[in-house]
Amino acid sequence: MPAQPSSAPASMLNHNLILLDPAHGGPDPGATLSDRALEKDVTLALAARLRTTLTAAGFTVIATRDADPSVSLTPDQRAEIANRTHAVACIVLHATTAGSGTHIYTSTLQPPPPDEDAYPSAYVPIPWEMAQAASVGQSQRLAGDLASAFTKGSLPVVSGQAALRPLDNLMCPAVAVELGPLLVPGQDPTAPTDDNYQQRVVSALTSALQTWRDHADASSGAGNTTEPGAAGLASETSVSRQLPQPQASQPRASRGQP
Amino acid sequence: MIPRYQRVLFWILAGASLLMALVLLRGCEQAREKLTRHRNETPLAAPVATASETARLALADDADGSITLEDRDLALPTESTARARALLARLIAEYSYKNSAHPIESGPAVDDVFLLDLPLQPPVAAGSNPTQQPAQPPASGDLAIEPHGPGGQLAVINLHGTFADHHPSGIEPEMLTIDSIIGTLYANFPRIEQVRFLVDGHPRDTLSGHADLTRTYPVVNTATRTSQETR
Repeated sequence: MPAQPSSAPASMLNHNLILLDPAHGGPDPGATLSDRALEKDVTLALAARLRTTLTAAGFTVIATRDADPSVSLTPDQRAEIANRTHAVACIVLHATTAGSGTHIYTSTLQPPPPDEDAYPSAYVPIPWEMAQAASVGQSQRLAGDLASAFTKGSLPVVSGQAALRPLDNLMCPAVAVELGPLLVPGQDPTAPTDDNYQQRVVSALTSALQTWRDHADASSGAGNTTEPGAAGLASETSVSRQLPQPQASQPRASRGQP
Repeated sequence: MIPRYQRVLFWILAGASLLMALVLLRGCEQAREKLTRHRNETPLAAPVATASETARLALADDADGSITLEDRDLALPTESTARARALLARLIAEYSYKNSAHPIESGPAVDDVFLLDLPLQPPVAAGSNPTQQPAQPPASGDLAIEPHGPGGQLAVINLHGTFADHHPSGIEPEMLTIDSIIGTLYANFPRIEQVRFLVDGHPRDTLSGHADLTRTYPVVNTATRTSQETR
């Protein structure tokens, strides 16, 4: 069953806008993937490929960085850029030498209770560390869509939750996508730096994001594309929602093959 | 014929060399005296035979991102903090074995484990009345950590910097290590509710560039399957 974003937050999102966050950069190289490949370069290359295919699919793409900056962005700065866009999906890109296939993570925050009556009537500011709580349900559905697309593309995928910044500070449906080596029995491992592997991942991501946009349009009316920039940062935003607990009370490790 | 100024210079340099040698010898003697003075004269505890017992380790697998509970027969100390440290040391040691499913470079990982009763109380100054209430009760920050139930504890795990520096970098390997530690504590220490991590005694942003170490983690069952399910 395809995932559908809930209507209320979806109406605030720009359904044609995708936020890409190639992790690391500048003096922060991230993981060393090989003698000549750093994670910051692989995530940037992956973001460039993804931008091309998403643009061809009709999306507007904003990235937290388009080059290797001299000073790396802090997680708070990345979240600030993302929260100003009101993107329909925020994709944080990582790469690693561990594991197998692609890893998809959402925040460890718990979604707010579904019972509207449980919400207090007074407006309560959302703490910066819990900005993702209101969107974590959508993020999990987005992660499900991505995992389905990867499975259709015959790419192994591991899904789970991670304590990773800036995921908890993002107000959009947000997932972290980590590219690991592709291990096929009887064959040499395919490194995350491999062009063909990256292209397969990009195709799966683009397909899943198109599906996600269609569902977002269907849930809030076709062509509903509120212009970004109407609201401020999470720390400045007030909503009438009961604050969820910041710590997961359920097992985080809900991993496994989809 | 050697000029007079060269002879003077020679004797000055020779004298300086002799003086430096004396200073060096004196420095060595002082360093040796200092080490001898600070030598720990505490007698070593007599070895005690400890019976093996079954402990549960939450072992991570990079291939599918799973955590599996497995039993191990271990001889563990009875004191809680030493027990927790020994158990976590064994857990990390398992990852340094050949063909480990979650390979981590061998070496010391856990420097110490501190178990603190919740809610945390501010330190009492020496000589003050311990029953006296503090002038300003803690209202925020670490001291505001509240227990989820009676008798709950906070575990503060101090990791070695070398362990964090050489840990495989990535969301999955770092989160699996943290979940593995949390799962092991959950399976063996029912009083521990929450965990905080330090590296070399100081807070650190991430384990190795990804997993957040600044937060307080709830101790929950992180295992995705048991050893019976894998057989």
